[in-house]
Amino acid sequence: MKLSSRHLGKGQSLLSPSGALARRRLRRQVLWDEGAGGVMAVGVGVAALCRRLQGSLRLSGVRPGLMTAGIPGLTPGLFHKSQVKVELLHQFKFLHTTLSRKGLEEFFDDPVNWGEKSVKSGDAWNIKQLRAKSSEDLHKLWYVLLKEKNMLLTLEVESKRQLKPMPSPERLEKVEESMKNIDLVVREREIALRLLQTGHEKPVPGEWRHDFLGRTYWYSYKEWPIPWYLNKKYKKRKFYYLPHVERFIRLRLEQSLRTRARRQSLEKTKQKLLERKFPHLAVKSQS
Amino acid sequence: MAKIGAKRAVYPLFQLGGPQLRIFRPNFFMLAVRPGVPQPEDTVQFRISMEMTRVDVKNYLEKIYNVPVAAVRTRIQYGSNRKRNHKNQRVKKPDYKVAYVQLGQGQTFQFPNLFPEKEEDAETHSHDDFRNKYMEREKQRQEGDPRRESMSSTSTNGARTGTLKSG
Repeated sequence: MKLSSRHLGKGQSLLSPSGALARRRLRRQVLWDEGAGGVMAVGVGVAALCRRLQGSLRLSGVRPGLMTAGIPGLTPGLFHKSQVKVELLHQFKFLHTTLSRKGLEEFFDDPVNWGEKSVKSGDAWNIKQLRAKSSEDLHKLWYVLLKEKNMLLTLEVESKRQLKPMPSPERLEKVEESMKNIDLVVREREIALRLLQTGHEKPVPGEWRHDFLGRTYWYSYKEWPIPWYLNKKYKKRKFYYLPHVERFIRLRLEQSLRTRARRQSLEKTKQKLLERKFPHLAVKSQS
Repeated sequence: MAKIGAKRAVYPLFQLGGPQLRIFRPNFFMLAVRPGVPQPEDTVQFRISMEMTRVDVKNYLEKIYNVPVAAVRTRIQYGSNRKRNHKNQRVKKPDYKVAYVQLGQGQTFQFPNLFPEKEEDAETHSHDDFRNKYMEREKQRQEGDPRRESMSSTSTNGARTGTLKSG
């Protein structure tokens, strides 16, 4: 089930007074796979986010928007703390005495969803859908998903502490899958670029080596500050096998061949059984 | 984009004068927990990935969450290996790293109640109605049973015995 995308107004930027709400809306719409229109909104509305991620973070203690708006409960000043705390008790909303709590608010879900038995969420991001996105979009999506994952993990631990069931735990799996897919797509692009530029597929060079049991494996080179002949631990490692191991190599080979033969014959017998039971479904050979 | 902060990630070797390591898509998780022991108002308690350091935590919160951080202290919590399952094998509870973050700029934080009591919605009402109807039906069925002694017959006898007859 896919949620409808909610368009982020062009005038709204993420660092505006309603930044937290806008960012939450943005998160919701970007997170669970929206249409192409949503991507445009992401590009426009999250320019500020991009700048923040790329450049240095300029933390302004006081946001001018909130000062002028004079929102009760959010005006800055330490001497207001006691006054505001009394108001807090009457509100269910997650308000705090000081500004930029929007940071820590992102560890928790929308206050509307607190106490709900289930929270609706869309599907996980597919690899095909992610391949269509630009690298910048994938970068932003990664962080959105990361924050969502943190939020869900927080909820999970808190629900265990309070001995209550976590609402919609399948969201965690979806987020994990989406992040894995982003990783795969980025890896694919990197490999393609590297092949074009250098002709190598792997980021780290390596070679096939034997271990002391005669097994062959891919050894990838590691970075060391000293050459290998001065590395005592490395010199203790054996990348060769002694002649007496050859017999065991042969036995291992025989075992693998035997298992492969058994698996193939099992497949054949199963196929024959099915053909006998359902002759009308047999695959006809085109001759 | 090239580098991913993940488990078993291979980071380039650092030598004096080398470039600062930058992780483009960190896979480190960080979750806020309710402190078991009451903490000062400006302290937030997190559970973080084992590979993270306090510098990492500070950068993480400042860059990704836009939260000013004054100080971070970390410790590793050992998960017990004492519990045993039905096969008498030891079951390990995973270890985790805890970070105590003190917020900057005089900010405070209270862990919220994520499970407030909500009013009953239509679903629970319908369930209760169904349950009440079922109980009434059961009672009526049992009352009409001739094998059971009805209250009226015992009361008209007059003399009441101490022992109760089981129905």
